[in-house]
Amino acid sequence: MAFIHLVKQEIVNNMNTQIKISTLIITAVSALLFYASFVIGDSENYLFPRLIAGTIAALTLLLYFEKGDPDKSTNFKDLFPGLAIAIAYILLLKIIGFYLGSMILFFALVMIYSKSKESTDFWRVLLIKLGVTIVFTLTLYGLFTLILNVRMPGGLFY
Amino acid sequence: MEFLNYFDNVFTVYHLALLVGGTFAGIVLGALPGLSPTMSVALLIPFTFHMKPESGLILLGAMYTATVAGGAISAILVNVPGAPANIATAMDGHQMAKKGKAREALHYCFISSFVGGIFGVFILIFFTPPLAVLSLKFMSTELFWVSILGITIIATLDSKSVIKGLLSGLFGLMLATIGDNPILGVERFVFTDHLAGGINIVVGLIGLFAMPQVLNLLENYYSDKNQVLEAIGDSTLSQSFKFVFSKFKALSIGSVIGSVIGIIPGAGGQIAGLVAYDQTKKISKDHSNYGKGEPEGIIAAESANNSMVGPSLIPLLTLSIPGSPTAAVLLGGLLIHGIFPGHDIFTTNKEVVWTFIDSLIIAQIFMLIIGLFLSKHSAWIMKVPDNYMAGGILLLAVFGTYSIQNNYSDVLIMFSLGTLMYFGSKAGFSPVPVVLGIILGPMAERNFLIGNMIGNAKGNAFLHFTSGTINITLISICIISIAYGVYSSRKARNS
Repeated sequence: MAFIHLVKQEIVNNMNTQIKISTLIITAVSALLFYASFVIGDSENYLFPRLIAGTIAALTLLLYFEKGDPDKSTNFKDLFPGLAIAIAYILLLKIIGFYLGSMILFFALVMIYSKSKESTDFWRVLLIKLGVTIVFTLTLYGLFTLILNVRMPGGLFY
Repeated sequence: MEFLNYFDNVFTVYHLALLVGGTFAGIVLGALPGLSPTMSVALLIPFTFHMKPESGLILLGAMYTATVAGGAISAILVNVPGAPANIATAMDGHQMAKKGKAREALHYCFISSFVGGIFGVFILIFFTPPLAVLSLKFMSTELFWVSILGITIIATLDSKSVIKGLLSGLFGLMLATIGDNPILGVERFVFTDHLAGGINIVVGLIGLFAMPQVLNLLENYYSDKNQVLEAIGDSTLSQSFKFVFSKFKALSIGSVIGSVIGIIPGAGGQIAGLVAYDQTKKISKDHSNYGKGEPEGIIAAESANNSMVGPSLIPLLTLSIPGSPTAAVLLGGLLIHGIFPGHDIFTTNKEVVWTFIDSLIIAQIFMLIIGLFLSKHSAWIMKVPDNYMAGGILLLAVFGTYSIQNNYSDVLIMFSLGTLMYFGSKAGFSPVPVVLGIILGPMAERNFLIGNMIGNAKGNAFLHFTSGTINITLISICIISIAYGVYSSRKARNS
């Protein structure tokens, strides 16, 4: 038990060190920005950013000494698939088209994130989810293209 | 009594349809746990973009009113407040639901929300014009301090750590400096074409509020929440009305406290509900029943969080300091329609603003009717699965962002800012001060530069910013609010 406690303590200490290091990096970056605002030729343009950069540098130094709450942990195992699909969606959006891309994203999200208790019949679940995806995309089409007259990029297939 | 002249504008078929639609959607969105009123209003802004200003504001106002009331549904049925404003409602509301009195509790909610809401709007009507006149005395230095004050108050009230709150606000201000300098017109911090126009307010709003919710829903999808949906039960309307109005004390404490807290910049519904609940409990003769299903607790909490809505717009319309986080989003809505808060809001934009305020009264009535109707059928709202919700919000955010300027860069900015905010919020940073920084940044910088020029011409810029009664008052409030923030976070940590 004592060993587990020690390991836990070690993790907490490491996290604190990480936070401390990142605070110092931000202090350094904003101090650099503050300095740069004097060096760049047109300093009037950077007058307000200088004020902000200076304040950020001062506050992060204070944060270094603050005994704050530890960060909330992130459940990367469950977050990762969704975040990865979302990033791919955003980057490919213009190439494959907004409506087609959105259909694929929505369907992929509801298929990957599914609880076993929903139903045991795989094809039934698949059909329902596909139906909801199509209805939702059509609603978006109605709202944005028909009512608001926004032309979404069609991509390769239109 | 000028407000009476503009009801005609509200009673058009189109505006009434917007009110009904906005209220219905607002109650449903408010009831879904995980969708905050702030995010709902932010997602709605792109739709209002193509409308006339008064129509857009009517829709946003109806949504604001309804989401705050709708949050009570999930608070009562599953003990998960739909919004922070409904935390106090859950304490007694869920206990009543456990006893099979959910419908009765929902009736009390909507009736007391209605009473509080109407009270709040009248406070807005009578207090805004005199305060708007006061804002005439605000010149460049005062306006600079007002914008700093707005960010400071929200930063210190909305976060656990004052330093992190202030840093969030400063981050927003820094983001606002991307693009053109408001006075010189020279570009800065534009490293790529995507950032050429700076960060659009609405893009920031949608990213910062919607993306964290999407990622949060996905991350916690499998964690068992142990939610038990209580049965609705039965109750007649006339009994509920009689009962709520017999609890005059709880109603009036709730409405008055809610209004006062609404006027205080940045405080918002969460605090209003809890303070009113606490005060009613203290005054009540027998408070052993509180927390076990006492209807008075629900009445106080709900009348307070809805009476907060109207007054939270007072500092917004006069000084552009939002009275609550959702009001901050509404400020974005006002600005994109070309309505700039200040002394002339009741002259240059008279018709739009009075129509908007009148529509808030009508929105309360619709909220009551639709809310009472939905309370019978509210169980289905709770059944929307989280994976569908996450996908739906993400798509709405992407489409809404794109539709603002037909610009793909905006979508990239929205997504990256939102994802950054999600991880930032894990470390205790809050999106509200960031948004306020983005919104008030240009105002702060413009007035800072003008004040600086005038000050330099007079001889001493620093003195120019720190002299004058209004300047000194504003600076003192900033300092007090920081000191109070430090004090209350220390106190919270010690207890």
